[in-house]
Amino acid sequence: MTGVALACKVVIAVLFVAAGGAKLADLAGFTATVRLFVPAWTASWAPRAIAAMIAGLEVLVGAASLSSPLAGWLNPAVLVVCCGFVAVSVIGHRRYPGRACRCFGALSGRSFNRAGVARAALLAAGAVLAVWPVSPSMLQLGTLGRLGMVAGAAVITWCAYTAAVAIGAGRAVSSAPEAQQGWVP
Amino acid sequence: MGTVIRIPVYLFAAQWAMLAALAMFVVIMYRQLGRLLTRSDKAPELGPAVGGQAAALSYISTADRQERQLIPREDGPALVAFADPTCPSCEQLVGVLGELASAGQLDGIRTLILISDPPSYLRISDVFSGSELEIGRPARSDGLDAYQVSATPLLVAIDASGVVRAAGSAVKTAEVRAFAEACWPAAPEAAGLSAGGRQLLRVEGNVT
Repeated sequence: MTGVALACKVVIAVLFVAAGGAKLADLAGFTATVRLFVPAWTASWAPRAIAAMIAGLEVLVGAASLSSPLAGWLNPAVLVVCCGFVAVSVIGHRRYPGRACRCFGALSGRSFNRAGVARAALLAAGAVLAVWPVSPSMLQLGTLGRLGMVAGAAVITWCAYTAAVAIGAGRAVSSAPEAQQGWVP
Repeated sequence: MGTVIRIPVYLFAAQWAMLAALAMFVVIMYRQLGRLLTRSDKAPELGPAVGGQAAALSYISTADRQERQLIPREDGPALVAFADPTCPSCEQLVGVLGELASAGQLDGIRTLILISDPPSYLRISDVFSGSELEIGRPARSDGLDAYQVSATPLLVAIDASGVVRAAGSAVKTAEVRAFAEACWPAAPEAAGLSAGGRQLLRVEGNVT
């Protein structure tokens, strides 16, 4: 069980960092998704600010979870974020079925559907398992190790950002600048 | 006696997770590179064939939910924008169309914004919800294939006789203005008409 909890913790942390980096690369696209959930009366700049905040929060939480495994409060925090994703997936599936969720920015063309809800639920289940108490001796990480984890998180963020930009650029070449694919009434 | 190097369990697990993620990105980038290298020089079709007759197109107005016919039509040229409130570039296009319409530069041209999103989505975009232009949703999808809306925004200029004069992506004011100009195919310059004549032609276009 300890191994499963550890695996869930690191996999979710890496997923957070990657997803945050990819979202930052396609902030305009992710803002469009955020706008689906923001009340119409909010200021026009709010969706973009919220989108940037979510992407930044994902990177920060993921990097913190990777580099500070002994910080016990981080696991419940990750679980709360994952529950938030489940809620968004369910609402998105009910209210905006078929719309792009841009959960991984341009890296993924997945939309709000049942499979998306299942994926979010799986992630939340993994976060529940990650809360499972693990012997502190297994989570020992020296200063060098922590710095290595932060550097690793930064590299993954950068790779996700670059890959998302490359894929977004490829789509732009194939159609119009910043165009949205799939016009199906 | 060799030295035993003990790697902390957490570090070991985290390293493998990060290596797996990096390997995944390498695969993604490699696939993307492959797509770009094997891409045909010919750009994918976007919009209907220019010079051909515009396909029949009916839509349901979001204002009164009445079904209307855009094509075939005989009451002047039309500028059709395929756009969605969830598409940032589309907002830009709709904004520009609104500005041109306010400035009177689209006078005589029936300007229609066709969305694929449900009408309730209009509320998420100030530009769409505040637009005074006509907004509709295609009544049926069977006639849409001819318009080849492979990406949005797509702007289609149709002249008074129902012939597609221009089709493609446009978001900048100058580009949209060029589409509006294309709606008047009689080429006033070619016909030897002055600017006044061109204006006259527009009026004629409205009544033919």
